[in-house]
Amino acid sequence: MDGENDKSSFWKKNVKTVPGRPSPKRDGKTSSKGKTPTSTSFQDFQASVSDAWDMDDDEFCVISGLENTKISKRVSQSAAINVLNTHRCTTEVESPPEEQVTTDKQLLPNCDNSAKVNRIPGRPKQLHCLNPPQEEDSESKLERFLTLLENPPSLQELCKLSWSGIPVKVRGITWRLLSGYLPINIERRDGVLERKRKDYWTLVEKYYYTEHDETNRDIQHQINIDVPRMNPSIPLFQQKTVQLMFERILFIWSIRHPASGYVQGINDLVTPFYVVFLQEFIPDSSSFETFNVTELTEDQRKIIEADSFWCLSKFLDGIQDNYVFAQIGIQKKVLQLEELIKRVDEPLHRHLKQHNVCYLQFSFRWLNNLLTRELPLRCTIRLWDTYLAENDSFATFQLYVCAAFLLYWKEDLLQEHDFQGLLLLLQNLPTQSWTSSQVSVLVAEAYKLKVMFADAPNHLQSNSGDS
Amino acid sequence: MASATNGGESYNFKVVLLGEGCVGKTSLVLRYVEDKFNSKHISTIQASFLNKKINLDGNRVNLAIWDTAGQEKFHALGPIYYRSSNGAVLVYDITDEDSFQKVKSWVKELRKMLGVDISLVIVGNKSDLEKDRHVTLEEAKEYAEKVKALHFQTSAKLNEGVEDMFLALTQKMLDDAKKKKAQENLLIGQNSQRTVTVVDDEAETTKRGCCGSN
Ligand SMILES: Nc1nc2c(ncn2[C@@H]2O[C@H](COP(=O)(O)OP(=O)(O)OP(=O)(O)O)[C@@H](O)[C@H]2O)c(=O)[nH]1
Ligand SMILES: [Mg+2]
Repeated sequence: MDGENDKSSFWKKNVKTVPGRPSPKRDGKTSSKGKTPTSTSFQDFQASVSDAWDMDDDEFCVISGLENTKISKRVSQSAAINVLNTHRCTTEVESPPEEQVTTDKQLLPNCDNSAKVNRIPGRPKQLHCLNPPQEEDSESKLERFLTLLENPPSLQELCKLSWSGIPVKVRGITWRLLSGYLPINIERRDGVLERKRKDYWTLVEKYYYTEHDETNRDIQHQINIDVPRMNPSIPLFQQKTVQLMFERILFIWSIRHPASGYVQGINDLVTPFYVVFLQEFIPDSSSFETFNVTELTEDQRKIIEADSFWCLSKFLDGIQDNYVFAQIGIQKKVLQLEELIKRVDEPLHRHLKQHNVCYLQFSFRWLNNLLTRELPLRCTIRLWDTYLAENDSFATFQLYVCAAFLLYWKEDLLQEHDFQGLLLLLQNLPTQSWTSSQVSVLVAEAYKLKVMFADAPNHLQSNSGDS
Repeated sequence: MASATNGGESYNFKVVLLGEGCVGKTSLVLRYVEDKFNSKHISTIQASFLNKKINLDGNRVNLAIWDTAGQEKFHALGPIYYRSSNGAVLVYDITDEDSFQKVKSWVKELRKMLGVDISLVIVGNKSDLEKDRHVTLEEAKEYAEKVKALHFQTSAKLNEGVEDMFLALTQKMLDDAKKKKAQENLLIGQNSQRTVTVVDDEAETTKRGCCGSN
């Protein structure tokens, strides 16, 4: 897709009234004002909020004139056709005539079928001694964290230590630091936290507990139908109080990011933050899965909610184009994933193609939900340790994780000999019994891929239709 | 190409479910394929794949079913799933007028992109919620007739009408496929644009494109 500069076609839903729909929450407090917020007044408000964040912390993705943008039938149709064309030409052309990339060829020596030595089979042999950060026993690790956190830590050191997993006891504070929500400077911390939390609740008062315009009603509707269906197997998420917290977080995030708005799946991305911040308040012995949040004080709940919101916002900043119109960011990554697999494991790639499996058909959800739908929650949280430690390069790292994830199942996939078997497996990968150790293997493999391709930044673009 | 086994033939049809979020698409498919209903299950991201083998009048039919996500956001990727489908199940929730409007816009899009090559069934789901009905049966039936679609009312929850609906759609796809084949036999040598893939049991015939096949 040629989406990079194509900001003119940002998504805007058809606005219309929604009869028979649950109306947005109105708790009476401010609804009497009955004023419909516009993004302009929102910007004004934003400007007036004194901000404790560093310069680039708070980009507001308010695109001027957005509220008047309409996508015509023609535009949306041509977008659909573009989507088709993109995927048709990259999937129907079975083998491109010539390998386009020459520069990095020497980096990829053994892309053949012979290498079957690693835990993840079929991987090319390692080129350099690629040692991803080591897992270590948790006691000594906790100590190292505590020592590091005593003084203002260097972010780099913190990333390094966190990459291979963070002990539960220090996970909350470390995540806040890694996402740039909590300042490294210890003296500033309390002030910043207090201010940001207050800011969040001001946003909620102003935008959640007020009359919504039609666009916002649509957002609210979509959130309202998704949140109750979240994590159905975990009792925590069936509690009304918890669902309301999620609804507010998602709604405020959405109106602050009108270019994307709410996209199904973002709700799943709040979950790890929520659980980690919740765990700070619950006794060691009890499991969060069955914890009753009404046992917390209101202040505690407010902290969990506000901190989840800010950390989510930081986290999603790097991957916003995943969620804009036609989800261009994801489509690109799907193509890159295909390109990557083709290079590191041609037999697997050929096997998928031979049975007409499209990468889009399984990896869209992986990318859209950052694997939250494929892994048990405890594993997602462990994975987030690494994602947050990857910091700015998380957006590309995510791609390598998906590649490693696919390669992990290679043997099972090769056992399947038709489209249906492959698709059913790819959409229901048996990870139920996974623990953090499988995640560690996964990210270590991803790390190798990353290093392997780090010197060849262009290779992924080679065939990805970035015309 | 047709693999004749004991007089019957094997067919491979691709079916896509479309419709607004939360109308019960996933519930319908799960009810049909696994005979399960769960009042709490997760929203669909993009699309899920399921399949079901049935025997209809001695024909062995394999349904490859794509259950798509309802959110408008994913709409742009819709063509990938309906392209080269033999049938589409367009679902609305009888308690939600808006979701019926959404069905209408899908019908328009499908007819425009695929013409009459695709069999349509319009489905009013959640028929157990009669007391909250917002879309009348007459209105829906009349509309379906107008656009040459079948119409069914279902309750995935109570398992009403689900099997009938899928069977009727399959029957229609089967009739169309046979009709088409008869025509093709007349125009020997002519290549038809989009046809049903008639498959040998194991090896699926490779069709054009990738997302569209099977
Ligand atoms: N009463 C009743 N509820 C139903 C019926 N079918 C589905 N539901 C409920 O409707 C909600 C949505 O069902 P889903 O099957 O997830 O809807 P969907 O259309 O797949 O939604 P998306 O995946 O978001 O597009 C669930 O809470 C179901 O329990 C039905 O026949 N009767
Ligand atoms: Mg669904």
